[in-house]
Amino acid sequence: MTTPFLHINGIRKTYGDVVATDHVELSIAEGEFMTFLGPSGSGKSTTLYILAGFQDPTAGDIKLRGQSILRTPSHKRNIGMVFQRYTLFPHLSVGENVAFPLRVRRMGQAEVAAKVKRALSLVRLDGFEDRMPAKMSGGQQQRVALARALVYDPPVLLMDEPLSALDKKLREEIQFEIRRIHQETGVTILYVTHDQEEALRLSDRIAIFNRGKIEQVGTGPELYANPATHFVADFIGDSAFLSGRLATLQGGRAAIRFEGGQQIVDVPLHGAGQEGQAADLMLRPERMELTPEAGPAGASLPVTVQDITFLGNCTSVAARTDWGDALTVRLNFGHPLAGRVARGDRLNVRWSPEAAHAFVRS
Amino acid sequence: MLLDFDKLGAWKWALSAICAVMALFLLLPILFIVALSFGSSRWLIFPPPGWTLKWYEELFADPRWIGAALTSAKIGVIVMVFSVALGLLASLALVRGTFRGRAVLRAFFLTPMVLPVVIVAVALYAAFLRLGLNGTLPGFVIAHLIVALPFAIITISGALETFDPSIEDAAILCGASPWEARLRVTLPGIRHGLFSAAIFSFLISWDEVVLAIFMASPSLQTLPVKVWTTLRQDLTPVIAAASTLLVALTVILMIVAALIRKGKSE
Repeated sequence: MTTPFLHINGIRKTYGDVVATDHVELSIAEGEFMTFLGPSGSGKSTTLYILAGFQDPTAGDIKLRGQSILRTPSHKRNIGMVFQRYTLFPHLSVGENVAFPLRVRRMGQAEVAAKVKRALSLVRLDGFEDRMPAKMSGGQQQRVALARALVYDPPVLLMDEPLSALDKKLREEIQFEIRRIHQETGVTILYVTHDQEEALRLSDRIAIFNRGKIEQVGTGPELYANPATHFVADFIGDSAFLSGRLATLQGGRAAIRFEGGQQIVDVPLHGAGQEGQAADLMLRPERMELTPEAGPAGASLPVTVQDITFLGNCTSVAARTDWGDALTVRLNFGHPLAGRVARGDRLNVRWSPEAAHAFVRS
Repeated sequence: MLLDFDKLGAWKWALSAICAVMALFLLLPILFIVALSFGSSRWLIFPPPGWTLKWYEELFADPRWIGAALTSAKIGVIVMVFSVALGLLASLALVRGTFRGRAVLRAFFLTPMVLPVVIVAVALYAAFLRLGLNGTLPGFVIAHLIVALPFAIITISGALETFDPSIEDAAILCGASPWEARLRVTLPGIRHGLFSAAIFSFLISWDEVVLAIFMASPSLQTLPVKVWTTLRQDLTPVIAAASTLLVALTVILMIVAALIRKGKSE
């Protein structure tokens, strides 16, 4: 087996009784864009800070090209990082901020000037050398921070929710820039975010963190199509979860029975369970369809419409099952039902068979 | 705002009047002394019968006054340097440190502010008798450092608390060693706080009289002590002239401190 470029090997970090990360295990390929996605307190930032050397793990190791980096102090790790908060040095101009890593490396004046120019050009801030950080917008400041983190060609770039302080439109603009910079430089990026859209937009692969552990690692489409756990299914995509019980089990597929006796058959089951155990049926919103007439038995359910919201390109219909679980179905603009559906309507939800997953409730 | 000045109605005038009276109360004695220093009467008569600069001439002709002023300045500068240096180190520990008992340590550092100065003075006098520091320059410096340091710690800690430690972390990941990061990034980042601490430390020493009276010897005394001892012997307008110069330097340095703060907020 070849040595992975970056290997996070069983990292565990505890603060007293609190477990921040628990045996985090991950291999990252050179040039990969890997995102740590999870809610706050899930251990994703802790893992990143251990990589940066600001925290020491309680157990485990981190290897870069087969060499452990844990004994190397932060300032000698040669790792780049962009922080959540604005961290430009307030007393230095943009040019001197970007030059800083080169100056501490005692690089010659001409080389510094050339590299600074190239780095600023990479983040599309040519000619901003003399500007002071306080005179720049948040988006510009984070782009300078990106230039400063890349100017010394680090093998790994860490990004800790760098766009969380920016508004949505600007965030999308800079996400696009980050993608372009990743493609241009080929630098390996570890990116931390709690925003699933951001993760899906940027990453080659995503590691979903929950309660200090990685729940699943995979590409966006893999995670979306085949979530391994209830948490992953819930975190990626706005899915509906309908609570029922396992009725029959057969070779990784199950039938789920709901209150009132309706039964959904032949859905892939995730997690080990027995008959009678509580389980959730997950349905992806874009795979559901609202129809006036009942669908095939076992892959359709009657619902009552609760609320209708027009969202421009689609109409979002909130509905309830007979036993009270909520689900949301989107009708594309121009859908025959879009203008006609009303609160209190009795309709049927149906879905394509591969859109449903069952998760054993833990 | 809960109390909007413009909406106070008649109270507005009452408030303005109270402010004016307060300002006069604080400023009048000083204005009085300044006027007297330029008055021609030997007997400190107010209002002065005429105007003259001869008390200033007398002041500058007397080597004892000049000596006292130079001693004050020398002690002030040394206190300033030590106060900022120690204040910075203490603040780094108090703000950035993670050890237990930081709150207790901070309270301990600030006790000289609330302790009656005369008690500190008596205690120091007794201690310095054993150490032979009374009447010496180091004795003066240590005594003034005790009262100046709390102000330096408050000012520098305040600046350090508003300086995001992530900026220091960023410098370290950029390749700067922790001390290099503090020196090249954190220090320039809190330079306004350092300047303010320096000015206040100097002024505290420059104005201080209680400790200085205990520390002084006939050969080594500061300007406030010289004012005090002269006052007891002979009520000459030279004292007013010396006081005016003392106040003038204080005012100038306060203006500089205010300008620094203004520069920071812009």
